[in-house]
Amino acid sequence: MAAWGRSRLLEEAGKCAYCGFCEAVCPTLPYGRHRGYGPRGRVLLTAHLARGGKASPEVLSSIYTCLTCAACTLKCPAGIDIPALVRAARSLLVAVHEKTII
Amino acid sequence: MSGNPGRIVDGLKSLLGRDRVVDDEAVVRLYSREPSGLESQALAVVFPETVRDVSRLARYAYSRDLKLYPQGSSTSLSGSSVPLEEGVVVSFERMNQVSEVSVVDSIAVVGPGVRIDELNLMLAEKGYMFPVDPASAAVATVGGAINSGAGGMRSAKYGTMRDWVLGLQLVLPDEHGTVLRVGCRTLKCRQGYDLVRLIVGSEGTLAMVTEAILRITPLPEQVVVALAFYPELRNVAEAVVAVKEQSVQPYLMEFMDRKTVEAAAKAMNIPVETPGHMLLVGVDVNREATGRFVEWLGKTLRATGAVKLHVADTLREAEDKGFFTLRRSLFPAQIKLAREAAGSRRVLVYIEDIAVPPSRLVDAVEGLRSLEDKYGLPTMIGGHVGDGNLHPAVGFDPHNEDQARRVEEWFEEVMELALKLGGTISSEHGIGTLKRSGLRREFEHLGSAKALELMRGLKRLFDPKGILNPGKVV
Repeated sequence: MAAWGRSRLLEEAGKCAYCGFCEAVCPTLPYGRHRGYGPRGRVLLTAHLARGGKASPEVLSSIYTCLTCAACTLKCPAGIDIPALVRAARSLLVAVHEKTII
Repeated sequence: MSGNPGRIVDGLKSLLGRDRVVDDEAVVRLYSREPSGLESQALAVVFPETVRDVSRLARYAYSRDLKLYPQGSSTSLSGSSVPLEEGVVVSFERMNQVSEVSVVDSIAVVGPGVRIDELNLMLAEKGYMFPVDPASAAVATVGGAINSGAGGMRSAKYGTMRDWVLGLQLVLPDEHGTVLRVGCRTLKCRQGYDLVRLIVGSEGTLAMVTEAILRITPLPEQVVVALAFYPELRNVAEAVVAVKEQSVQPYLMEFMDRKTVEAAAKAMNIPVETPGHMLLVGVDVNREATGRFVEWLGKTLRATGAVKLHVADTLREAEDKGFFTLRRSLFPAQIKLAREAAGSRRVLVYIEDIAVPPSRLVDAVEGLRSLEDKYGLPTMIGGHVGDGNLHPAVGFDPHNEDQARRVEEWFEEVMELALKLGGTISSEHGIGTLKRSGLRREFEHLGSAKALELMRGLKRLFDPKGILNPGKVV
């Protein structure tokens, strides 16, 4: 499946109401040092990247620690496909830097 | 704030350790917003892990006039968790230990970062529960719920946070970062003025909560649940009266008006055979009394005009049969409909939080529908009818100036309606920034503007420099 482009990514991330319902089921959040290691954070950070924001080490860790297990998507009231967002962000990073990050 | 931002962040890292401070701009932004749609940008986020960390942080902030914004999981809907001025977010996510559960003493001693559902999972193993259940319980923290004075579906029976917090450990925003213990680990407690209840609902403006002694209660043996649909609004009101007049205090009593039922069913593809005004009633019973209550509940709701009725013997059965599907669809349906109505992908949903005496339900819903027409804002109306708490909600495009202005005026008029009906402007979401004018209006309505002066005096007493969550509540 081809990853989404910037505009689709921003459109999908823009649906987030920031309710946090996704966080309760995320397997990585309890092991991360901040909210960026959970789906709510990742949605916003993918939008940050799509808008040309800095790919700082913290942002990269957030995007690349996602297991894309989709547990969060089942809980999302807005029906956001969070793994697809994460894949899109990774594709974007690869395209921008012309190399894989990990 | 004295000192440049870079030095402040370096100072915090020296004070607490680098692993307890995050200053990555994009990550800090995640802690500078909430579902109300309000957002800003703090300097950094700090993650204290002990009461000593919090005390040292308070002392440091006091000496540098640094603003501190305590935060749980940012699920506030009132603006109370958003940093307004330059300052630092204090996230209690890492203070998430349950240090004691005693069924004999009926208490749980927990850190502020414990999530309510996680606590309840732990308590359920012992046959107990913490009954305050905000809709966000899966992610909401105990500290956040204390500070927002949260309630939930079970509030009609169990009340809100102020009824379930027995004691608190606090850190004051003063020159010493004073650590205080107030309240008791016993149910009965006369300790002079009730500082515990003063902190509950204070929205992080007076002190930082670093530990709480919560009261817990046994899980109900069984809950009988009925889902009913009524042709007329007055039937719903009659059903509420009929249940209460027979000396039954329902475990839950939820309501959605007909228009909201139809909109939610359509938006979320939920089959509803005979749409009408929805009433969901749960009554906790002894197992042996199940049959009697099932019969009584069915009879009572039919007698008040229910045209469609389903009754389940247990919560599990009610869940399996989808009794809660419509009620739970309220939030996603609001988002979906708002997006359609606003004609834009980026929408905000404003969820109001008024309460009226349950006897004024019909007046409240009719008033809200008339405001919907006046402002041309499609409104979803649902709520906890057992305690009169309604959550009318509208969605809008924040970049559409006309819509945003109409929503603002609607918001003010909804609060006015609640006051006219003998209610209150905020039941469980709090004041934050969004309802400061409403709070003033409520006290003026009560002829008690002096109450706000007293509150401002309390704020100065606890927080002489005004560094703790400034700009909120009063």
